[in-house]
Amino acid sequence: MRSFLSRTAAMALVFAAAGGLLACSADTSKQTASAPAAKTTAVAKDAVYAPRQLTMRRLSGEQYQNVIHDVFGPTIELGGRFEPDLRVNGLLAVGSGDVSITAAGIEQYDLMARRIASQIVDEKRRDMMLRCKPANVAAADDACAAQVMARVGRILYRRPLTQTELQAYVTAANVGAVKTKSFYSGLSLSLAAMLSSPKFLFRTETAEPDPDHAGGWRLDAYSKAQQLSFFLWNSGPDQLLLDAAESGKLNTKKGVAEQVERMIASPRLEEGVRAFFIDDFGFDQFETLTKDTTLFPKFSAQAAADAQEQTLRTVVDLLIKNKGDYRDIFTTKKTFITQELGAIYKIPVVDTLPNGAPDTWQAYQFPADDPRGGILTQVAFTALHSPPGRGSPTLRGKALREVLLCQKVPAPPANVKFDIVQDTNNPLYKTARDRLNAHATNPVCAGCHKIIDPIGLALENFDGAGAYRTTEQGARIDTSGSLDGVNFTTAAELGKAVHDNPNTPSCLVSRLSAYALGRPVQEAAWLEDLNKRFAAYGYQVPALMREIAESDNFFAVKPVETKAADAAAVPAKEAR
Amino acid sequence: MPGPRTYLSPVLGACALTLACLGGSFSPAAAETRSYVVSWFSMATNSNDTDCGPGGPNPGVQIQYRKNLADLGYTPAQIEELVKKSQTGEGGEMFDILRNRGRMNGKPVSPYIYPATAIDSKWKAIVGKEAYGFNLDGKGEATKNGFVDPETHEKGVNNELYRAFGCYISMRGSLEGRPTYWAWAWGQLKDSQPAWLITIDGADLTKDGPVTVTFDRALEHLKSNVDGSPRADATYRYDSDPRSHNSFKGEFKGGVLTISEHGDFHMLQNPLVVPEFKLAKTHLRMKFKPDGSLTAFIGGYQPWADLYFSFGSGGIGIEQCITGDVPGLYWLMRKHADADPDPKTGQNASISATYYIEAVPAFAAQPPTPKVAGDAGER
Amino acid sequence: MYDLVTKKLASRRNILRGTAYGAAFSVGVPFLDCFLDGHGTALAATGAALPVCFGTWYQGLGFNPGRWIPSTVGAGFKNNVELKVFDPFRDKMNVISGTKYFLDGRPLETHTTGWQIASMGAIPVGVNTGPSLDSQIADVIGTRTRFRSIEVSIGGGRQSFSKRAGSATNPSEPSPASLYTRIFGPEFKDPNAAAFTPDAMTVARDSVLSAVKDERRELMKAVGAADKARLEEYFSSVRQLENQLSLEMQKPDPLPACTVPGTVEATKDGPDVPDAEKNAKIFGRLMAHALACGQTRVVNVMLGSNGLHSVGSQQTWHSLTHEEPVDDKLGYQPEVTWFINWANARFVEFLKELDSVKEGQGTVLDRMAILWQTDHSYARTHTMDALPIMTAGKAGGRLKTGMHISLPGDPATRLGLTMQQMMGVPLKTWGALSNETSKTVTELLA
Repeated sequence: MRSFLSRTAAMALVFAAAGGLLACSADTSKQTASAPAAKTTAVAKDAVYAPRQLTMRRLSGEQYQNVIHDVFGPTIELGGRFEPDLRVNGLLAVGSGDVSITAAGIEQYDLMARRIASQIVDEKRRDMMLRCKPANVAAADDACAAQVMARVGRILYRRPLTQTELQAYVTAANVGAVKTKSFYSGLSLSLAAMLSSPKFLFRTETAEPDPDHAGGWRLDAYSKAQQLSFFLWNSGPDQLLLDAAESGKLNTKKGVAEQVERMIASPRLEEGVRAFFIDDFGFDQFETLTKDTTLFPKFSAQAAADAQEQTLRTVVDLLIKNKGDYRDIFTTKKTFITQELGAIYKIPVVDTLPNGAPDTWQAYQFPADDPRGGILTQVAFTALHSPPGRGSPTLRGKALREVLLCQKVPAPPANVKFDIVQDTNNPLYKTARDRLNAHATNPVCAGCHKIIDPIGLALENFDGAGAYRTTEQGARIDTSGSLDGVNFTTAAELGKAVHDNPNTPSCLVSRLSAYALGRPVQEAAWLEDLNKRFAAYGYQVPALMREIAESDNFFAVKPVETKAADAAAVPAKEAR
Repeated sequence: MPGPRTYLSPVLGACALTLACLGGSFSPAAAETRSYVVSWFSMATNSNDTDCGPGGPNPGVQIQYRKNLADLGYTPAQIEELVKKSQTGEGGEMFDILRNRGRMNGKPVSPYIYPATAIDSKWKAIVGKEAYGFNLDGKGEATKNGFVDPETHEKGVNNELYRAFGCYISMRGSLEGRPTYWAWAWGQLKDSQPAWLITIDGADLTKDGPVTVTFDRALEHLKSNVDGSPRADATYRYDSDPRSHNSFKGEFKGGVLTISEHGDFHMLQNPLVVPEFKLAKTHLRMKFKPDGSLTAFIGGYQPWADLYFSFGSGGIGIEQCITGDVPGLYWLMRKHADADPDPKTGQNASISATYYIEAVPAFAAQPPTPKVAGDAGER
Repeated sequence: MYDLVTKKLASRRNILRGTAYGAAFSVGVPFLDCFLDGHGTALAATGAALPVCFGTWYQGLGFNPGRWIPSTVGAGFKNNVELKVFDPFRDKMNVISGTKYFLDGRPLETHTTGWQIASMGAIPVGVNTGPSLDSQIADVIGTRTRFRSIEVSIGGGRQSFSKRAGSATNPSEPSPASLYTRIFGPEFKDPNAAAFTPDAMTVARDSVLSAVKDERRELMKAVGAADKARLEEYFSSVRQLENQLSLEMQKPDPLPACTVPGTVEATKDGPDVPDAEKNAKIFGRLMAHALACGQTRVVNVMLGSNGLHSVGSQQTWHSLTHEEPVDDKLGYQPEVTWFINWANARFVEFLKELDSVKEGQGTVLDRMAILWQTDHSYARTHTMDALPIMTAGKAGGRLKTGMHISLPGDPATRLGLTMQQMMGVPLKTWGALSNETSKTVTELLA
């Protein structure tokens, strides 16, 4: 049974594999500077085999919405709110395997389900949505209900319904119709019940013996389809993918490869890539981000939303549209802006729409000698990793280490005073560098700050809301520092250092594979293999996604390991 | 604090790189160009306790209405009855009477559209000695009743509009203590009226030297920060309508920018203030503030009939809410107008005025030239 | 685990926290209509607490800048001078500062646009307006009561911001005597004696849930131990939903504090301050009784839309905001401020009436959430930045109180969204264009 404790231990392993757990001894500069990735010599193919436990991940809000819109069209209104997600080991995707549904949550799911279902059977939509009509609208109709529930069920459950399941929903539609004297009301209640079923809300998986690994197990074809589509598209499988599962094609390497190619070539890949980076960058934290508006009056709710979108557009444009090198996201001068962001960046953004129309996005390229470039200098990074009233080299440095280099930074010791660091009006210590130097006289603090601050201080030209500045309290800001032995003097050079750091691509491999599987990948050998492939493909992210999706390990699982499941380690398949 | 910011480098840099995608171009490169967007506009006021003489400023509109009714011959008892009814919402009779209190050939007409048909309520004008403004007539101290500017201490300042309006309670205030009328008008307009842009060109705006100042209307309204304060560094497009373009040569000296060309100023504006804002013999005095913003006084002779009808068209609504006696404005401006005499009657058509402006840094861009049908390739 | 059907609803919080994964995801908020763990008496028959109620208080013309925003945020704030009068209710209220109404380039129609955004979340295009937030809420919590909502106006007039989709307005009642007749006249039925028929849709929902119960339960056989615990929580949550349905199918518990108030004499309902003051007090009492007797669960109060003026003064509050000069020494408009203080005193009086109806350990106010909004933050200049907003009541434990929350630059619609969500309206976002928001004010959720 998983527990948080074992997860933490597991993550330590991952960090070790990707970049190393930073040690904060008083003199760590050498160790951290060169902390090498745990290298494994070339491994035999079998050593890479890395089956995982079956997971049961709760659909995220976006996934729920994507599925509904895929099935019933984008005009269906969801209403309702989703339960908060849980970040485990740095990813919501991993936390989705730990969360359940509370009473408050089920109430929202129930309300949403009934609202969605009533739109589907609404007089305006029913003829388009449903392929049959009841003999009598005021009575139950087995045949029509069965037809509708079987068709919708295949998509919502991501597999065909069993006879028992279908019968339950037909019965539900019938009792509903009898009580309300309306076929459509009954059908609507039955649809709503399916929409709040755990089989829809959780992505459950089914295993079967793996002929390629004697004694091993793999996901069955429908579970494979589900895993592929949520990874690549952040939504449920479409008809073609379900058909590939049904025909058994997904149980062949060739069949999987065909589907993966199709899915990666689809424009929907963007949705999948975005979903990963939203999770990876921790953009959900914008929900609770606040800024002192006296100091940062331009930082509006719109600016915060645009800042996230800017970084996502930068990344998607580079990685998907231009098939670029992942490491270039730290150096690219190309981005996209709106008028709202233009005021913060202090660059002119001409919009030609009428007053009050929503801002449009425009491609923008910073000049070659501009201090800005790469996502570290964008508002989304600098503002998100800053407290309300100032910038923070420490928070930014820590985020860079943990999120982008996969190096765990220990939490500060208890009872440390941060007065000096937080006092941005201090006449003695005018810049953040001065304040941190004064703060780090304590050797316990100094060890960690040595690891974090030099990279965070390189971003001090960006204030707490991401605006460019060259002085603080009249004193010139010094942005020099070093990252793992590479010296730099500007934010642009920091971007280059991150670009060139070997942990940068291996961290992405580690996090993207954890995102795909819903668990931290602990097998160093497999990660090493993926790292090599990633490098061989010029660090193209869609190629890495394909490598992960086509890997045997993507589908390799261990059997369920509980007493209850002893009798049938793998759930007996009912006739479908 | 940082000094006034220079927009040269970002403007040029951005221009070179993004011209194609932005579809606009920025001000032609002088050695230094700064653009601003006007973030506050009002009559320049500096009220004090004694400037309306004994009894203080003019009364509020509710009191004035009683006087209007009395002037029309209603008895005190009738007046009380009418007022009472108007307040309980039982009858709008009082408002109908007031709305038609003008008399033309003995028949009731609107006093707002025909202000000369209303009885002159003989409202007070400023008797104080100080007013912001300029020596427009060039007479200096020789000006009869000229004001002294409280900032420059210049004598013979012409600002008869301030004299005429200054004792209306809603027009009273100081530069910082915004007069209620102007605060209301600005609050009403700032988020929807096209903004005004100021662009200053010079060799080096941190040093004394010749400058060119232009005023234009923008296609966008003023943009605001999260706390409602005007937003710095936002982008606006120039409205290419020549009726809103003004350019003056001037100089920057000792921290003050003034203009040496005193031609006409004209700007299309929201009808709430005046449909077309016009000044003749324009004078300007502008200062840069350490936070990058600027303040300015702009003065000249303004056609007062235009101004009157902007208030008059608001009718009883404006009268009730904003100013007090609307026809009174007509009588006051007619009396104090000090320029452009009619050759026959001698009645002056213009009145000396000075307005106060605040502005924050902005980017200003030329809109793309409209394509005209018949251009090659545009069919 | 828990069996709610037998254990009753002693404390939903325990249920949320007592799960395998602990506080990590017990972050949701109970939104159930019937099950409240507030201070209402848990009644013998079903164990359910008293239903939650909602109110709006629309008081135009804002406050004076610098005189109402508390100097500190969070709990334990001190009321600034203009809100001092609310001190006795501070722990049952919240002050929210900093939010805005956005025009998005549309012209500002003073004293209209702000109300539209406050009540509907958007500046409507054309006449096809509504619904307002209170009617959305009434559609969730007020479907089984005699009046879906009750609207009153203090100071005369029938203006109301309670709108249904398609511009249908629920007009305000200006006369307390008429309101008395409407609620407690011959049509009044004692809620504790009336007959009960369950709603057909509720019965159907219950049957459908039963029909799919085994199908859902089947999943338990297919998962490991850890996931089984998570599913167990899911099923425990579903049982609460079933329990809610079964309660809705029973005759509701008697309302312990329902009494019929004494007859109300006809009064004058004009904009004179003394009349308005007298009527406000009677309205407060009638609404408290109406809520206690389950006649409605939503009340909307409109104060002074008809031009309040004090006796002896010839000017209305509204005209004073435009004409009265700011007193140099005081720094504000003194007569306008008198009206602000007067109106705030009326709101306090209203809260007192609601709080004086005791129901077990709590009061009617304790199971209410009232949203106080205004049209302009500073009437003199018609600004719509840094708007004052207040809430009162504890919504039966759903609404956290005693805080000053600063939300600078955020759309004011965040409060409307939060209130609707708190009352169970299924909404992810509310409002249009810049006034659209999906950001719940989570600080307010208990």
